[in-house]
Amino acid sequence: MKPVVDRLKAEYEGRVEFRLYNVEESSEGQRLMQQYNAQYVPTFVFLNSDGTEAKRMVGETPEKNMRAILDSLK
Amino acid sequence: MDTKKMLIWGAVAVVAVIALVMLLRPAGSGVKDVSPERAAQIVADGVRVIDVRTQAEYEMGAIPGAENVPMDQLAAASANWDPAEPLLIYCTTGARSTQAVHYLEQQGFKTVYHLAAGLVAWQGDLEHGSEVAPMPAEGEPTNTPVMYEFFTDW
Repeated sequence: MKPVVDRLKAEYEGRVEFRLYNVEESSEGQRLMQQYNAQYVPTFVFLNSDGTEAKRMVGETPEKNMRAILDSLK
Repeated sequence: MDTKKMLIWGAVAVVAVIALVMLLRPAGSGVKDVSPERAAQIVADGVRVIDVRTQAEYEMGAIPGAENVPMDQLAAASANWDPAEPLLIYCTTGARSTQAVHYLEQQGFKTVYHLAAGLVAWQGDLEHGSEVAPMPAEGEPTNTPVMYEFFTDW
């Protein structure tokens, strides 16, 4: 997923903040994974700016689906 | 012989060697790199699809109908396949599948389609990978929406 995520991160810069955690290397990532009750990798959690969770995807996710979700965030 | 003639004969020799190599390629040489769009057509046509990633990766999301044959099982599994049957091969980024299609080419498979850009470029639907219900939100308000990704390198 990295090439897709990198491309989307650049495209949505300033509109959506990307927080990417390799949970094998990042203790903060492991903590957040627990906080968000994420049990699998990769997991994508999409939050609106008021902190509410809009969507959650598990597994390889097509780029067009990612774009649709990112575009829908408020 | 002057330098100009030597250069001409050298060029002729290079072209002759390339032509000879092309003529002597194994009969089974049939790997075709295909775009995600072409791959979608091939899948729709019912071509057998082989996913050479690990089982764990496969279970997290795969092209619908794909069979999971991890790289370390490819030799044993493909020994029973019909070399005349067309195949579409893919992995996540095209790295492992490049090795797989070269192996299958050496084994005499006639038509091997290769999704060279990998699953990351696939635009169609996926099996397994899915939307799951949001959990109770514990996030704090931020200036912009946020996307978290929790991943590993495998």
